[in-house]
Order: sequence, then C-alpha cells, then structure tokens
Amino acid sequence: MAIETPTTGITRRRFLKNGVAVPLALALAGGSISTLFLRRADARGFYLRPPGALEESRFLAACVKCGKCAQACPNNSIRMAGAEAGIGIGTPHIIARETPCYLCPDLPCVKACPSGALDKTLTEVEKVRMGTAVIVDREACLSIRGLRCEVCYRECPLIDKAITIEPRHNERTGTHTIMEPVIHRDKCVGCGICEHACVREKPVIVVIKSPPEQKDSYEF
Amino acid sequence: MSFKWWPVRRTVQFLVLALIASPWAGLAVFRGNLAAGDLFGLSLADPLAFLQATLASRQFVPSFLLSAAIVTAFYFLVGGRTFCGWICPVYLLTELGEKLRARFGGVDRSYSLNGTRWAFAVTLVVSLAAGIPLFEVLSPLGITARAIMFRAWLPLLLPLAILIVELFVARRIWCRSLCPVGGFYSLIARFSPLRVGFETSKCNHCGVCREACPVEEVLAPSLESGARQVVSGHCTRCMRCLDSCRTKAFRVNLTYR
Amino acid sequence: MTVSRRDFLKASAAAAAFAAAGASALNPLRPKDADAASTSGLTWGKAPCRFCGTGCGVLVGVKDGKIVATKGDPQAPVNKGLNCIKGYFLSKILYGKDRLTKPLIRKGNRMVEASWDEAMNLIAAKFKESIAKHGPNSVAIYGSGQWTIADGYAAAKLFKGGIGTNNVEANARLCMASAVVGFMTTFGSDEPMGCYDDLDLGDTYILWGANMAECHPVLFSRLIDNRLRNPKVKIVDFGTRFTRTSQMANQYVKFAPQSDLALLNAIAHVIVKEKLYDQGFINKHVVFKKGKEKIGYGLEDKFKFADDPKPMTFEEYQAFLKPYTPEYASKVSGVPAKTIVEIARLYADKSRKVCSLWTMGVNEHSRGSWVNNLIYNVHLLTGKICRPGENPMSLTGQPSACGTAREVGTFTHRLPADMVVTNPEHREKAARIWGVDPHKIPDKPSYHTVEMFRALDRGDIRCMWIQCTNPFQSMPNLNRYRKGARKEGRFIVVSDIYPNRTTEQADVILPTASWVEKEGMWGNAERRTHHFHKLVNAPGEGRSDLAQLIDFAHRMGYGHLFPYKHPEKEIWEEYRKFGEGQGKDLAPYESYVKARGLRWPVVNGKETRWRYVEGHDPYVKAGEGIKFYKNKATNYKAVIWARPYEPPAEIPDKQYPFWLCTGRVLEHWHTATMTGRVMELKRANPNAVCEMHPEDAKRLGIKNRDKVRVSSRRGSVVLTVDLNGRGKSERGNLFVPFFDETKLINELCIDAYCPLSGEPDFKKCAVRVEKA
Repeated sequence: MAIETPTTGITRRRFLKNGVAVPLALALAGGSISTLFLRRADARGFYLRPPGALEESRFLAACVKCGKCAQACPNNSIRMAGAEAGIGIGTPHIIARETPCYLCPDLPCVKACPSGALDKTLTEVEKVRMGTAVIVDREACLSIRGLRCEVCYRECPLIDKAITIEPRHNERTGTHTIMEPVIHRDKCVGCGICEHACVREKPVIVVIKSPPEQKDSYEF
Repeated sequence: MSFKWWPVRRTVQFLVLALIASPWAGLAVFRGNLAAGDLFGLSLADPLAFLQATLASRQFVPSFLLSAAIVTAFYFLVGGRTFCGWICPVYLLTELGEKLRARFGGVDRSYSLNGTRWAFAVTLVVSLAAGIPLFEVLSPLGITARAIMFRAWLPLLLPLAILIVELFVARRIWCRSLCPVGGFYSLIARFSPLRVGFETSKCNHCGVCREACPVEEVLAPSLESGARQVVSGHCTRCMRCLDSCRTKAFRVNLTYR
Repeated sequence: MTVSRRDFLKASAAAAAFAAAGASALNPLRPKDADAASTSGLTWGKAPCRFCGTGCGVLVGVKDGKIVATKGDPQAPVNKGLNCIKGYFLSKILYGKDRLTKPLIRKGNRMVEASWDEAMNLIAAKFKESIAKHGPNSVAIYGSGQWTIADGYAAAKLFKGGIGTNNVEANARLCMASAVVGFMTTFGSDEPMGCYDDLDLGDTYILWGANMAECHPVLFSRLIDNRLRNPKVKIVDFGTRFTRTSQMANQYVKFAPQSDLALLNAIAHVIVKEKLYDQGFINKHVVFKKGKEKIGYGLEDKFKFADDPKPMTFEEYQAFLKPYTPEYASKVSGVPAKTIVEIARLYADKSRKVCSLWTMGVNEHSRGSWVNNLIYNVHLLTGKICRPGENPMSLTGQPSACGTAREVGTFTHRLPADMVVTNPEHREKAARIWGVDPHKIPDKPSYHTVEMFRALDRGDIRCMWIQCTNPFQSMPNLNRYRKGARKEGRFIVVSDIYPNRTTEQADVILPTASWVEKEGMWGNAERRTHHFHKLVNAPGEGRSDLAQLIDFAHRMGYGHLFPYKHPEKEIWEEYRKFGEGQGKDLAPYESYVKARGLRWPVVNGKETRWRYVEGHDPYVKAGEGIKFYKNKATNYKAVIWARPYEPPAEIPDKQYPFWLCTGRVLEHWHTATMTGRVMELKRANPNAVCEMHPEDAKRLGIKNRDKVRVSSRRGSVVLTVDLNGRGKSERGNLFVPFFDETKLINELCIDAYCPLSGEPDFKKCAVRVEKA
C-alpha cells in the first residue's frame, strides 16, 4: 500500500480527514445502522420461509439474498422481502394466503440455494418444516359448525396424515355429523395450502412458525 | 477510425443488466444476482457474500466456497476492481453521475479510496459479531439487482438516492469510499497480471489521459512514479486512458511487471 | 355472513314462527310484492339449494333487491340448517362480474347486444324456416334437471304438443337415464321406494360407484352420523377409485371398471347357492325375466336398440347365475372371492337392514341400466326392500333431475308421470290435458341426447335451443359435437346466466333468470317437491326459461297453449292432473308454498316416505303388505333380470394403456359456471388435476405436480398430476374432474352409451399419459 502514500502533496490535515476520520465515521455509521437493524425479521411481521430454511436467526445470517430460490419456484410462491422486513430485507418468504408452497417433489428452491440458508440435506417433502397449521378461530370454522366444508383437509398435500377428520355427532340437528379437521403437528409441513384454500374471508386455519407452547383447549 | 474500448465496456455493462433480467423471458442463461448466481449452469458467488454468510452463520458450505473461489480467481486475473468498471450496475450509475456533473456541474468534494477497505473490514467484523451479513442487507448492488429480477421498482429509489448524493454531497462517494466489494477487489488486485501499461517513449505529455481517468489517485501517481504500468489496486480497467491517448502510449499488459 | 350460534337460534325461532303462523304471513315475497318487500331491510325467503339432487333447504336473505345472505334452513328436514360449502356460498353465485344481462345475437365472430324482441323474432323466424324446410324434427330443445318443473313442462308441451316433435331432451340423460330404465324395467315406475330416512334407519350401507362424501355432502354427513349413533352400522364402498367416501367407509372394495356386472351377479350367485334368499318374498312379489344380450355400445350414428324381454323361472335364473361364481367374478374384478361371499352374506344377513346407494359410477355406464337391475335383484332376492332402513336408493346429481326431467318427462320417449309417447292411451291423455290434437304428438321417440347432438352434427337437426345446461363442456366426445354445432346452417340458441363453453357456440344468447330470480318448483332424489318464490329480479334484462318459452310459443303461433296469468301456479295445477290416481299424486300449489317440500305421492295432504308398502303408501291396501302396484304387466310384481357381464366399449391397450374416469369435486358443481364465479370456491379448488397411482407415475418418470398430456383417440388435454390428493386412483386408472372449463376433459370421453337408457359412459375410456 506504500504505492498510494501521498506523493501528490496531500496535507497532513487532509490525510487525517480522509484516511482516518472518514473511515471511522463510516465504521460508526455502519455499526449504528446494523444495531438499528439488528432485530429478527419476524419482529416486524411473520415470515414463512421456503422449505429447508435454517432456524430464523441462522437463516438471516446465511442468506445472501440472491433470489435464486424465488426464481427456481415454479409457482412463484417465494417472494423477496422489501425494506419493511428490516434486517430481513431481500430474504425469501412465502405468503401462504396469496401463494402457498406446493411442495415440488424435487425441491428446486432448496437446490438453488448457494449459501446453505436452505438446508440441502432436505430431500423429502414430507420432512419439510416451514411451520405448523393451526385453527385459529374455531368459532368461524365452517366444518366445526357442522357444514360440509373441510376444504383444508381435502386440499392438504398430506391428506390423512397432517390433517385428518374427526367425525362427531351434531347435537343440534341430531342426524348429522360434524366433520372436524384435526391437524397433526408431527406431520404438518407448514406449506400453507390449507391457509390459502380456506374459504373464510379471514382464514381460520393458518400456518405459524412455532406453535404456542401452551396447549390449546381443543387439542386432542 | 481506431479501436475504442468504451463501446465494448458499455456493452458488457448492459449485458450484465440483461443477464440479470433474463429469467423474465424464461431464459436460463443466468439466475440469481451478483451476490450469487448461475451463469450457464456454473455457480458463481461474490467472495464477499461468501465471507459474510460464512462468518455470520458459522456454517461452511464447500460448494459456496468453490463458487466464490472461481470468482476471486477470475477477478485476480483480470484486475480486481475490473468488476466495478465492467460488471457492477452501481458503477454505471456513478458514470451517469459524472456525465450529469460534467453537463450541469455539481460538488467537487471527494473522500479517500481507503474507505472501501475500511468498509470491507467493518462488514466482516459486524457479520461475525452480529451474525448478520451486514453488507447484503444494505447493498445497493443487491437491491438494484433484485429490483430488476423481480420487477419491483420501488427499491430503485436507493440507486437514485445514491445518484443525488453523488451529485450534491461528494463525487463518486459510493464507489470511492463506501463499497466493501470495491475494497475487497482492490486488495486482491495487488499482483493481478492484467494491467494498463504505458510506454513513456510514445508519450507527448499532453495530459489528456489524466483528465480522462475517473479516479485521480490511480493514473497520475503511477505515471509520476515512473512505473511501467498502473499500480493502484483501485484501477477499474475502464480503459478510458487507452481511448483518450492520441499517441497510443497505453497498452494492455497481460503479465505483472 | 357468519352464522353464529345466536343467529342460529334466531333463525330457529324465526323458522318456528314460520311454521306457527303459516308461511304466507311471514313469507311476503309473492311475485307481486317482491320489489316492495326487497327494498325494506333484510327479508328471508325459503328455497332449495341451487346445486345437487340432495335438495337441502336454505333461507335466502334479500336486501335492496339483491341476495345478501343465505343460510341452511333449520326447518328443512333434509339438512336441518346445514349446507355444504357450495350451499354456503349460494348468495354469491348469481353476482359474478360477467353475468349476462342483455340478449346477444351473433354477427360474424362477434356477439352483439340486441333487444328481446329482435332476439325472439330471430329465433322464431329461424325455427319456422327450419320446420317449413326440413320438418318439425329439424328443431330441438335441450334442457336440464335444473329446469323448474314449469320450465320442463312448458318445453315438453310446446315441442311435443305444439310443434309436434319429440326432440325434447335434458342433460338428465347424461346422469340419471340408466336409473330411470332400472326403475321402470324392475318396478314399472320411476324413482325410489325409499327416502333419506333410510340413511338414519338402516345399519348396512353398500355404496356402488358413489362418492357421497364429495357429491352428496350433507347426505353423507347423515349417513356417518347414523354410524356414530349406532356401532352396528357398516358402510362398504365399492369403487374403482379410493375417495373420501372410501376413507370413511368401514370397508373399501376396489374393483376393475365394468366388473360390477360380474360382482353383482356373483353376489346373487352366492345368495342363491347358499339359499340365503327370501323364498316367501320371491313367491309373492317377484318374477324373473331376461332380455337381449350382446347389445352393443351405440358408437355408430343412428344406433337402434329395443330390448326383447322374455319371462323365465327362478330355476332358469339360477342356471343363468351358475357361471358367476365368486372365483369367476374375482378374476374379472380383482376382488377376492372371499370378499364377494362376505358381501353376499352381509346383504342377506337377516339381522341387518341393508341399503344400496349409488350414483354415476353405476348410471354413467355402457351397461348402466343392467347394473341398476342387478342391484335390485339382490334386494328382491333377499326381500330387503320397501321397508324403513332397507332400500336400494339411487342418488341424483341435479336439483330437479327427478322433479323435472324424470317426472315431467323431458325426454324424447316420455310424457309426464311415467307415460311414454309410444303408447296411444298415454298420448291421448297428454293431448287431452294439454288441449291439443292427439295426432300432434309423434308416436315415435326421435333422438336421445347423444343421438340428438349427432343429428345436429349431421344436419338432421338444424335449430337447437339449449336452456340451463352446458353441453359443449359436458357432452362426451366433445370435439365432434362442438364442431358440429358451428357447422354451416346450424342455429343454436343458448339461455344461460354466464358466458360459458356453450354460449361461445351460440347464435343467440338469452340472459336468463336463475334460481330465486323466478318462481319455481324442483324435485329432489327422495321424491320431495320443493317450491320457491321469486325473491329478487334478475340483473339487467334477464328472463326466466319459462317466460322465454312462452314468449317463443306466442311467436310460433302456439300462444293458445299457454293462456296463463300466473304461469307457475297454473302450470302446476295442470301438470298435477297427470299424476292424480297414478301413484304420482302431487298436492295443490298452496301446500308447497307452505311446506319444506313434500314427498309424492301426496294423497289427502299426506306425503309418502316409503312406496309400495302398507302403512306408508296409500295405494297399498291393508293386508297387502308390499305391492308393486305400478307393474300391471307382471301382475304387480317386481322383476329380477338376468343381465350378464359384458365388456366395456373401449378397453385399455398398448397404445392407450390407462382407464380414464371423470367426476366431481365437493367445491364445484357440474361445469362450474356458478361455483367458478365464487372467488372462495375457485381459490379452494382452482383447476382440474389428474389423479394417478404413484407407481404408474414412477414407471413413467412422472413426479407429483408435473404437467402431463392425457390423450384418448378423441382428444387430449394437459393437466397437473396429483399423486397424493383427495382421491387415489387405482393402478392403471386416472381420474379427472370435469368442472374446469379451461381443461375440457370430456373431449377424451367416449360417446358409447347404454343401449337401454342412452346414457353415455363418462367413467371409462382408454387413454395414455405422457409428460407434457
């Protein structure tokens, strides 16, 4: 670097200013911006990550935001986050209600990831764990009300595994069955197809990343 | 009409934009962006992106290293910041800024080239310490490329902001002083074989080349020091000196001297 | 439109009030004051659901002249306030953005808006011209099981009694014709002896080619509830595809397509061999007959068939059954012989009340009428019929396949109330009620549906009016019939509510009032006749099918046949005369306005739940027990038919190695012209997919969600493969639903039909699959 030492009459003052003060200011600015951004992306809203995504903080560390997974997705399910995602800007995510993950058997998104943010050891769709579906509003679920809906069940790519139907007697009519969709968290991959398909205006079945620790009253 | 480099370089710059946009047309020529991408199926990665992700996630992905190594080797051979002059979309913007300044005037303040190396260091330290690939979060390269890839035009406000800053705050501030990618490539260029060489015997000392060189710290010191080639790591191989010289005193050296 | 428990309670209270005060007081939505009522707040009226043949009752909430809400009618005995997901969205089906509101006339490749007068004059002129040049058999009307009873009645009266052609058909030919032939040949009268109460009262249910879970959702919920309440209940699902019904059944029996003929004969074989039959019942109530064999498939134009029934003895019938050993049937069907014996014993088990339930797997079959007969055989052998909880029950797919197409008789060979055009007495009676010359009604049937569209293609039919159905998506071998309709010199009129694959073939499109935009009556699968008032106006200039037909009649010079002030009511009273005293008695108009439907025969204001049985059916006198009183020819006995196994029209081969079966899904109905306009249903199930067995897919290098091209000798279509969906195809079988107008799977279907019923086989044809 000796080559660049001032030979053109740069003053000591200018050298100090350009060589030390500016980089220092730069480092400070960088540091403060990064601390400002240093929060989990999902602190600003929930993001469903593509199949094989590492745990969120490690995912954010490993993702270089190249967008290859989104380009590889044949269904345009994967979107790249904008500035609203904070530190997660430019990271891939899936908005299940708009376009869920259709679980391509060869997982092209995982294959496309260069940085290991999507875990390449994942090769089977049934082992995908993007999150877990939960019924968030039992009052609004038409199937639980006794109507023959069960769209989430029939559309589930792991039908009879991740969602099953628990039939029970409908006390009100006396002659019909309530066919309640029941989610099995150990099997659910969190693809969000159920959330997308739900016929209610506000979906009553949604995918969440980490199911609440507290046992829900309706769990079987 | 003698051969000029600038149309070649300009074509390459726009070709890069076209490649980034190519998946729109369903062409599988190029996928991804400048942080990581597949060119004709060959996986390439920005070495800085690799360093950040690896430091931040403490996870080593051999294929990622390979992709980054290919790119590092390539830019070592062709001269480091050649990336800036020929590939980077932000540099294109900077050049637009220069053009605008030449026509309408603007500030003539500039900051040290060393800033980029500091930025490089800060990026690595913060990535390691905070577990966040710092530069990838802020990168106008990434943001611009993603805007093109996914046709989201709002993020293009960022390059616009850079343009405005460059016109009214400091000349070429991003490329000169802030960009860690430039910093990294300036470091690996130390012994790059591909260099701009000159024959003092042909020189008539008209000074046009000094005017042409966009970074005053690059050409002039080398000429004055009596070196046989441009020595600065910050040379982007933009070839403006070659295009400007009426006596053809410049040539492209393919070996380090 | 969420229905909370409180709303439910409120609705129940309201419904109770309805019953107490009489519907007319609380249901002010008579035609005259519909406009006045609909401008003041939310008003509720009753109607049957617009979709399938189940006939669920709904309450329709109207505000400012628009339907703003619907909910299951708690007072409706079929569904007691419940609905399936299609019924839940009823309020949205009429308000798609592209609703047709003005008559359109073809000008070259464009459809141009016109006035009703222009459109109707053009239609009348074209029909008159065609009749003058080519005779009355050159014009035709093709309706549906969604026609109201009055619509169908007016069409039959105008075409058969006025114009003088038997070119009257309905899409019910595509779904129920085999069931009709089954009922007629076995019992001498159409429609089931049982009713939905059998779903609550029986304990053994054998399903044949019926995916009740998706196609009769509310009935299935009733069936499963029976099992929840009674652990003895057993549900056996015979099918060629593992469906949601199979999933919930106690036992799923997969069989090779077409082998149901062999299986049912084998079941009869076991019952006879093990002497499990009810000799007393057979002696009293059964005769044996055989018909023609090797009857063909109707693949060639102008195919003609007439059965030649010959009586036989029980011994001869037993001899006929001899070859149908469980082992033989097992070889044909792939069902283990042991299972066949078990099912036969289950059918015959004296401690069990057995019902058979079936739908399109049986009816849409090149031997559909035979399979219907064979199911009855088993019930007649074991005497498990006409008693609460043990009946064979054919389920229907349209709201009024029974009420309109089958009871009014909108088929080429039929007249109302089980009568036929070939019988001079029947023609005489019809002509008398219609007020026309008996000679006006032609004594020969002309074309049934497939032949009718073939005649259109050939040019024997020039003008066709299509109402309330979408044949250019729903016909088999679509390519031929779609091309035929656009040939030079054809004139197609389509009455519909949305642009669809049929309106695109039209020369004139008439915007039509649908469902509660008009008054109407429908009849569901359990002989229940429903009435609904006009609750809202059709958007734009939409008019009911009935109004269109009456207007047309006037322009054609047959106005005198329709001298009605309140057509819906007067037609009902006129139509009622056909069934009176014939075991098809219907109540006066007012009774239906009040009731949530009544099951005929309605005698002295009382509906009939079980036909042919003492204590329930007023036609069976005390001491008679069971009497098949409509079968005069056999001395009031039912017929056990010797019907052999015969192969299907097309069998997979090297070139086309797969079976293709088509069908429905829960979210959509028929060709999805209505459900496709409901964003929620569209999102829930946007496109038809091709179900395939994973091992077949693996062999062909096809992965889940790959695009494949499915082709038959008649057409091809590109579809997404579904290897782990709601239905699981057996090896060598594919299943594709037919709702998707962007993927006309019916182009692939073969137009082979059952020679007895004319019903085409949508469930079997040979196709190949390749990666697209």
